[in-house]
Amino acid sequence: MFYVRYLRNELVRRRTRTVVTLLGLGLGVALVVAISSLSAGLDQAQRKTLNPLAGIGTDLTVTLAPAQDTGGGFGGGNRDLIQANQSVITDLSKLGKPGTHFVHDFFLPGTQLTFQQTEAKQIAAIDGVAQVTQGLTLLAEHQEGIVPKIVASIKTGGQTYRIQRNLPRPSASEFQAMQACLQKLNPQGSTGPSTGSGGFGGRSNGGGGFRGDRGAFQKCLPKSLQRFRTNFTTPQQTLKQVLDPPQTNIKTTAYTIGGVDQTHPAMGVVTAAQVTKGRFLAAAGGKEALVSGAYAAKNTLKVGSKLILNGSSFTVVGIVGPPLGGQSADVYLPLAQLQTLANQQGLANVVLVRASSSASVSQVQKAIEAALPQAQVASSKDVADKISGSLVSASNLSHSLGIALSIVAAAAAFLIAALLALSSVGKRVRELGTLKALGWTQRMVVRQVAGESLATGVLGGVFGLVLGVIVALGIDAFGPTLSASSTSGSGDLLGLGTGVARTATSSVSLSAPIGVTVLAIGFGLALLGGLIAGTAGALRAARLRPADALRQVD
Amino acid sequence: MAQYSVRNAQKLFQRGPATVRALDGVDLEIEEGEFVALEGPSGSGKTTLLQLLGALDRPSGGTIEFEGRDLATLPDRELATLRLRSFGFVFQQFNLIPTLTAVENVEAKLAPTGGGRERALELLGEVGLAERAEHLPAHMSGGEQQRVAIARALSVDPRVVLADEPTGNLDSKTGGEIIELLAGLAVEHGSTVIVATHDASLAARAPRRVQMRDGALAGGLAAPAVH
Repeated sequence: MFYVRYLRNELVRRRTRTVVTLLGLGLGVALVVAISSLSAGLDQAQRKTLNPLAGIGTDLTVTLAPAQDTGGGFGGGNRDLIQANQSVITDLSKLGKPGTHFVHDFFLPGTQLTFQQTEAKQIAAIDGVAQVTQGLTLLAEHQEGIVPKIVASIKTGGQTYRIQRNLPRPSASEFQAMQACLQKLNPQGSTGPSTGSGGFGGRSNGGGGFRGDRGAFQKCLPKSLQRFRTNFTTPQQTLKQVLDPPQTNIKTTAYTIGGVDQTHPAMGVVTAAQVTKGRFLAAAGGKEALVSGAYAAKNTLKVGSKLILNGSSFTVVGIVGPPLGGQSADVYLPLAQLQTLANQQGLANVVLVRASSSASVSQVQKAIEAALPQAQVASSKDVADKISGSLVSASNLSHSLGIALSIVAAAAAFLIAALLALSSVGKRVRELGTLKALGWTQRMVVRQVAGESLATGVLGGVFGLVLGVIVALGIDAFGPTLSASSTSGSGDLLGLGTGVARTATSSVSLSAPIGVTVLAIGFGLALLGGLIAGTAGALRAARLRPADALRQVD
Repeated sequence: MAQYSVRNAQKLFQRGPATVRALDGVDLEIEEGEFVALEGPSGSGKTTLLQLLGALDRPSGGTIEFEGRDLATLPDRELATLRLRSFGFVFQQFNLIPTLTAVENVEAKLAPTGGGRERALELLGEVGLAERAEHLPAHMSGGEQQRVAIARALSVDPRVVLADEPTGNLDSKTGGEIIELLAGLAVEHGSTVIVATHDASLAARAPRRVQMRDGALAGGLAAPAVH
């Protein structure tokens, strides 16, 4: 076919012009493809990390705000909360036998008051609510150590008492009997005062003393004096000993624990999507636990480890990564298990709500706020607003600048193609005039010129796509890592914050996924550019009168 | 009835504020099969008249009847058809398509008529360029290029061959060969030949010479070209 050969010859034999046109179109298309891919990559990264509630499959979270205390006074409206959190009492006597190791976990409601699970039904009934799940997130105090032994040692005895007493004087008859006895046993030495060392010497009231040996004397004492009996009361005394405090190693650590409705793996305080290792909680809700990556690292837990909570053994079945937005807990249990452990049967403190459509989120939010005046309703946007970091900037940048750049690139490509087509027609006026002189109709000339431009557009599009894909793959391979972080304090979404303020940082390697749509758009742009250029050139060619064209000097 | 019947043909060009009368009331009749030389200095209106006769342009006034049809009033499409099937042009600058080989340049004329490569090669043979068929114009001499142009013009067996200074860019020897070729082939193909030239020796080969001065014919309406 002559016309096709002519077209090919024009492209091949005017190589410089063709190459310049292809470069212009190709670079334009490549830029559009690369920027669109980059933009898509940033969007994807943003969706992944910047929309934390979406990360837990939720549009809204409903929590119970502490009632405002109208009574005034210090502490203000948080009295309920303070009371609820005052219940940590460590009763050592109940921990076990002294010297044994004990572990105990206390569960506190944190900054969020609990409410009856049945209240969730009220929310589920609101128009526009597609699904509702509940969670119980608690602040846990973990105590572990040895029950202390308290020993006091007291030594008694060893004191000396001196007791002095007057003995009763023997009666006259007793005295006579005694003398008679002594006389009888010791007839010689009965005269003269007694100088013996006997105990009674000093007390004799005159009348002579006793002489002779002790044995005889002993025998002759009246009966009442042979056996002396008296009462003696020891002095009362109080023993005091300062006891050293008992040695113990009880450690208290705080962590957060979340009760998950494990029957909704796509929506809840934690979702199956967050599991990085292992698996999600089984729907049956057995004694299983998920732990956050950070908590697992700190406590050397891994999938299969046992987690003992107040005597119950929970098997760690999965490690979860935190979603951005700060509502991560350290440990997750099936809701019912946590309720039992924490003695909070039938209670929850957060309701996760999914709206039936994204458009109805704000309407649902208002409806919940109206139905439950005490409820605090937070939407994704509230949370997303707390997130900052390079990803946010990059994403915002890609949105504004990316679109602008794409338009500029596409426009530049069009302009280049159109200008080259025009200039090419301008240089070929004589040639086109000759064709007309040969008898080519206007339509044939236009068709030929437009065909060339379209062919250039197709080639430029293919070239641009290849180039764009290479750039996108390059970004995938060598792209920078973007991060997003959010700091959650006491006011954070799920109320885990008290004392456990944390910064969740999420890093995403920048990628540029190449969508079929992007490729189609890029190629379409090249074709369109070619067509615009071709039309521009062809219109100019069509206006030529053969005589005028031939008059044109090269 | 004459093949061409030109009555009071006028052509005005606007050059800025001034109006240039390129043709100012030309009357001319040309019979089928004639070999006519349009003579005159540059600017006398030869090329303009040739373009009107070849349906490359429309007159500003008057009529140009070709085989009974007024070229001034025919629609563009019909003029294109006439140029394709009835006229063959040979230009001073050869006007070959630079990206096409010799044979492809001939095909450019034949393609819209459905003619093909074989016919183009046949014509190149007639002008003695069979072996140069695959050469690009840039690789051919002026004489060779003009021969390709003649082959192109004659490829559709046109009713009229219009040549505008065909030897103007050639040395006199080559110019002579070209004019011989053109005259000879025109007879073979049964075509009328109208050659515009300022070369008296070339014009002298034509049986009929028409002198032009300032946009008008110096000679009579159908005066035989005899000096």
